[in-house]
Amino acid sequence: MGDRDNPDYKILVVDDEPDLERLVRQRMRRHIRRGKYGFEFAGNGVEALEVLTEKKDIDIVLSDINMPRMDGLTLLQQIPEVNSDLRSVIVSAYGDMENIRTAMNRGAFDFVTKPIDFTDLEVTIERTLRHLDEWRAALASRDKLVAIQNELDVATKIQQSILPDKFPHVDGCEVYGCMHAARNVGGDFFDVINLDAGRIGLAVADVSDKGVPAALFMMSSRTLLKGAAVGVEDPGAVLREVNDLLNETNDAAMFVTVFYGVYDPSTRLLTFSNGGHNPPLVVHPDGSSEELELTGGLALGAIPGFEYGQASVRLSPGDLVVFFTDGVTEAINVANEEFGLESLQGLFGDGRTPTAREAAEMILQAVQDFAGEAPQFDDLTCMTLRVADE
Amino acid sequence: MNVQVDHHDKVLVARVEGRVDSSNSQDFERQLQGAIGEDVQAVVVDLGQLAYISSAGLRVVLLVAKTLGQRNVSISLCALSDPVQSVFEISGFNRIIQIYDTQADALAAAG
Repeated sequence: MGDRDNPDYKILVVDDEPDLERLVRQRMRRHIRRGKYGFEFAGNGVEALEVLTEKKDIDIVLSDINMPRMDGLTLLQQIPEVNSDLRSVIVSAYGDMENIRTAMNRGAFDFVTKPIDFTDLEVTIERTLRHLDEWRAALASRDKLVAIQNELDVATKIQQSILPDKFPHVDGCEVYGCMHAARNVGGDFFDVINLDAGRIGLAVADVSDKGVPAALFMMSSRTLLKGAAVGVEDPGAVLREVNDLLNETNDAAMFVTVFYGVYDPSTRLLTFSNGGHNPPLVVHPDGSSEELELTGGLALGAIPGFEYGQASVRLSPGDLVVFFTDGVTEAINVANEEFGLESLQGLFGDGRTPTAREAAEMILQAVQDFAGEAPQFDDLTCMTLRVADE
Repeated sequence: MNVQVDHHDKVLVARVEGRVDSSNSQDFERQLQGAIGEDVQAVVVDLGQLAYISSAGLRVVLLVAKTLGQRNVSISLCALSDPVQSVFEISGFNRIIQIYDTQADALAAAG
């Protein structure tokens, strides 16, 4: 609540009738005493603009129309240049529809008629102030939303920037990956890690849930995985180490499914451990395909001390391994049907296997074509490893 | 998504219907946590009418299982449809949460 020297709202009364000031002070004395309204007075439009220029905290301008030097209708046009965060109420002769219409067209919020009925004036002032409060609250919310949106945009850029966009040039194979986040920030990631002796670490992962918490969890999972991958040989041991680290602080019971494999181009051997992730697909040059086996794993972050198994597969020349997140196979179209594993397998026919990049882009395009206008709630990630032809 | 609750002595049976994904997982968490009273000794979650569960839904199951574990209250799942069973197998959650074919089996084990 305000007080007499610091009222809640300030009203500027503009009228060339000198008796009006005394009348307003007398009829509004209760509100003035309680500090609800404070009043300023001006004798014409020019004086009113001087007051508005000097005092930026005026909430309402209550103005007569006919005044010397500058009339009320002209004043209405000038006010926004001085202060756009106030509302104007016009005092007009009873039935003077032409001036009232002009005033409303020039941005007046409301009008009262002469002779001023102070009960009516109070109702009008209250209504105007309510509107002004709501307007200001809406502006404040909008500013906050804009600020949050800006931060989310930065977060999106940070997230995208940690995903690989340059892929290793290794004799005997090529790698490509891409991701489309369903929201500003996603929970998916993939990584391609250069290891010793020409080997490549390949990871694709999906954090439970979406949005900012998932994005934060994704960032730490990705860093821990990269750290473990360069220090530990076996994929199963890598996942065990990351799982134990994630479990040290995880009150929200978040988890991340991770497929991690190490590919050695010299032997064409892919050794992998699956931490609760949907299994990658191996596509052969004749278009046939099968999923890599599960290795008895568990999503990372669920419980500490879990032992992760691993398996190996020897790939053949021309083979393509498709690593993806369930956003691909569980994409929904407008008829509420899932894209499904069979559609993914159906993309590959007899003939030349596409390059790593062609395959990844073809898959994401096919999923997006299938989904059409249906809103997607999950991130889409696809990474591909293409073994060179013989 | 809807959670219906029955009490069989000190065993609480929660039947989950519909789909659980990231759009309603918080509601799922509230309903499930809210249904579990202080004097419950075991919880059986019947997923027979659950058509789909995403990883956000799995997180809620994990969170409830962890909370109950700290109170020494057992939790088991039963009657999973094939797609839901497959989600639990791929994520590996079938290795850390007991799953039974039928509600009767789950109740017999919990009682």
